[in-house]
Amino acid sequence: MTIDTNQYYELSFQIISNVGMAKSLAMEALYAAKEGNFEVVEEKLSESKKFYVEGHKMHASLIQKEASGEKLDFSLMLMHAEDQLMNVDTITLLVTEMIEMYKRFK
Amino acid sequence: MKTIMLVCVAGMSTSLLVSKMQKAAEEQGIEANIFARSAQEIEFALEQNDVDVLLLGPQVRYMRKQIEEELKGKNIPIEAINMQDYGMMNGQKVLEQALQIIASK
Repeated sequence: MTIDTNQYYELSFQIISNVGMAKSLAMEALYAAKEGNFEVVEEKLSESKKFYVEGHKMHASLIQKEASGEKLDFSLMLMHAEDQLMNVDTITLLVTEMIEMYKRFK
Repeated sequence: MKTIMLVCVAGMSTSLLVSKMQKAAEEQGIEANIFARSAQEIEFALEQNDVDVLLLGPQVRYMRKQIEEELKGKNIPIEAINMQDYGMMNGQKVLEQALQIIASK
């Protein structure tokens, strides 16, 4: 069964929505660290991770389809979703390190 | 006429939600001007439009405080879009959210 444009859009939007939440929560964790509010930091980071994993799962399901030989059409919206997925990966990595720095400056 | 502005990273994915919201508004005979902009364009967009409510996509929710500063004294409420409604591209629900905020302004 091939994926039509509508399904692509639905999946893309769900990826964007989930990784978007992950990004916002990671940034909110960093802001909390800036204020020295480290309990909130941990909450935000673990919540962020949950959303990231959800988005990642949706993306992985598409990769698996293609890897199993299914031909998928190109979609700019999906590319946009991947763009944000990658972005969150980088942001989270750096935010986690920056939070460690805030902890040391305490 | 209600003016609803949505904000996301590029104004790209959200434009799709805009068309869904416009459709929902049309179906109910609600006169609404709905559009999407990137976070960088907010100031410019506000100069051009008389905005009633500003809604943030999940990916720019963290900018809320910063945007609130920019909106100070303008009496434009700002709220994050429910991430489930955003993910499902539920134009009807997001429109309802926007109209509720305007009504309680």
